[in-house]
Amino acid sequence: MVVALGSRSLLADAVDHPALQTWSTIFVSIVIQALPFLVLGVLVSGALAALVPAGWLARALPRRDAVAVPAAGLAGAVLPGCECASVPVAARLRERGVRPAAALAFMLAAPAINPVVLVATAVAFPGRPEVVAARFLASLLTSVVVGLVWSRLGRDEWIDRARSRLVEGDTRWQSFGQTVRADFLQAGGWLVVGAMAAATLQAFVPRPLLDAVAGNYLLAALCLGLLAVALAICSEADAFVAASLRQFPLDARLVFLVVGPAVDVKLVAMQVGVFGRRFAVRFAPLTFAVAVVCALLVGRWLL
Amino acid sequence: MLLVVGATALWLGLSDASLAYVRAALRPPLAASGVVLLLLAAATLRAGPRPRPAPDGHGHGGRLGAGWLLILPVLVLLLVAPPALGSYAASRQAPRGGGPVGTFPPLADPVDGAVPMTVTEFVGRALYDQRRSLQGARVRVLGFATPGDEGGYRLARFNVFCCAADAEAYELVVRGDPSPRQPDQWLLVEGRWLPEPPLTRIAPSSRRPVLVAESVTPVRPPTDRYEHSLYGI
Repeated sequence: MVVALGSRSLLADAVDHPALQTWSTIFVSIVIQALPFLVLGVLVSGALAALVPAGWLARALPRRDAVAVPAAGLAGAVLPGCECASVPVAARLRERGVRPAAALAFMLAAPAINPVVLVATAVAFPGRPEVVAARFLASLLTSVVVGLVWSRLGRDEWIDRARSRLVEGDTRWQSFGQTVRADFLQAGGWLVVGAMAAATLQAFVPRPLLDAVAGNYLLAALCLGLLAVALAICSEADAFVAASLRQFPLDARLVFLVVGPAVDVKLVAMQVGVFGRRFAVRFAPLTFAVAVVCALLVGRWLL
Repeated sequence: MLLVVGATALWLGLSDASLAYVRAALRPPLAASGVVLLLLAAATLRAGPRPRPAPDGHGHGGRLGAGWLLILPVLVLLLVAPPALGSYAASRQAPRGGGPVGTFPPLADPVDGAVPMTVTEFVGRALYDQRRSLQGARVRVLGFATPGDEGGYRLARFNVFCCAADAEAYELVVRGDPSPRQPDQWLLVEGRWLPEPPLTRIAPSSRRPVLVAESVTPVRPPTDRYEHSLYGI
């Protein structure tokens, strides 16, 4: 008995060792890869805090959500980052007076439809411009639908306001520096949580398991959606992974491309940190469902 | 905390150590973000003691909050120094087929009697090139050994688009090497493709192309252990 237990734990050690190494490599990689984008995001957020007077954006933007949400979604095309950058920026936009629904639409659209991501998608699917068009449309549609649903059903008190309270300094530079610092520490800390979750899923859940469902249309779409949530790949790289998942139908791979930048374990962790838990438990399932449906509809039409 | 993370980012951006985790193109932005964080840390230090937290009990301005978690990746990096993905990670992936179905551009010119190519390119051409450009050509590929099914070994290499989280293993089966090879031993293999009819459509194939070795040389691992090619071309 003792020998059996002993040899089993020895065996477990031997098996665990490379698994733990793989886990650490993937964990560190996700954080390193996200860091430059996170810094870009908090710099934009700091600039918004220091340069844009509170309430100015609210007056400049359309008052009605039906107009403001699509406009905010389209505006996402100008932030050339991946999804880690857009979470702090969206929180800061809301704090500066942008309607929550519009800020959320911006947060969902920005990492999916900016030029860098679209070019990467075109490179990953050579000779298939319809994939780029489908990704653009489905992601924009997702952000607008989620924004509108949120403006109808969402409640302001679900967002923890204290978490993105502005840190006022005596000078503009101080406000900038303190906002950047606070936003970076908060979003960065939660990025670490998300990276640990993604590394765990990658290192311990066997991927060949997935290939078994590749044949079934709906099941494949759902599984690739869940895979996008679990892998937490940067939106500038996910097109290449989607391109290589060749055994899956193109519609299912579009689901992967649309879900990934909108909701994944790393993003959910960051949203818990920046907007609060009550927000994230409602927002993540809503976004996932809308993204899957939008991707399948657009995919059926275009692909 | 800003100081620690910033210094680590700057170090990674300037050293080859980061190549185990991200592709080289990400190094300048990484170094730049390190500089930004260091400047921020310097500004915070110069400003002296932090303003007291807001009296509402939250005080998110002054406290570290979740930020202390950022120490974890730094600690893992410094204490464990995780290596680039190897044979264990490769064994957990289904075989990948590179390349679109169709015809491939002509092979590169041979250097010292063999055409140098990446593992990704070899797999793509072997599985999908309708013109069989590999047939008869002596090629040279670099990769690490990973245990095979039939007692032999495979030569594998990870292809990385952005960071190690999106790495995909490409593998070929090595035949004709009498010596056993340890997993993760880096090898320079010269040989010829064992021809098989190309696949005419993308299939959830578990086929791995075979390279009949004519010479196998153990080598030191390359500085960048990943390939970064798109379909190997």
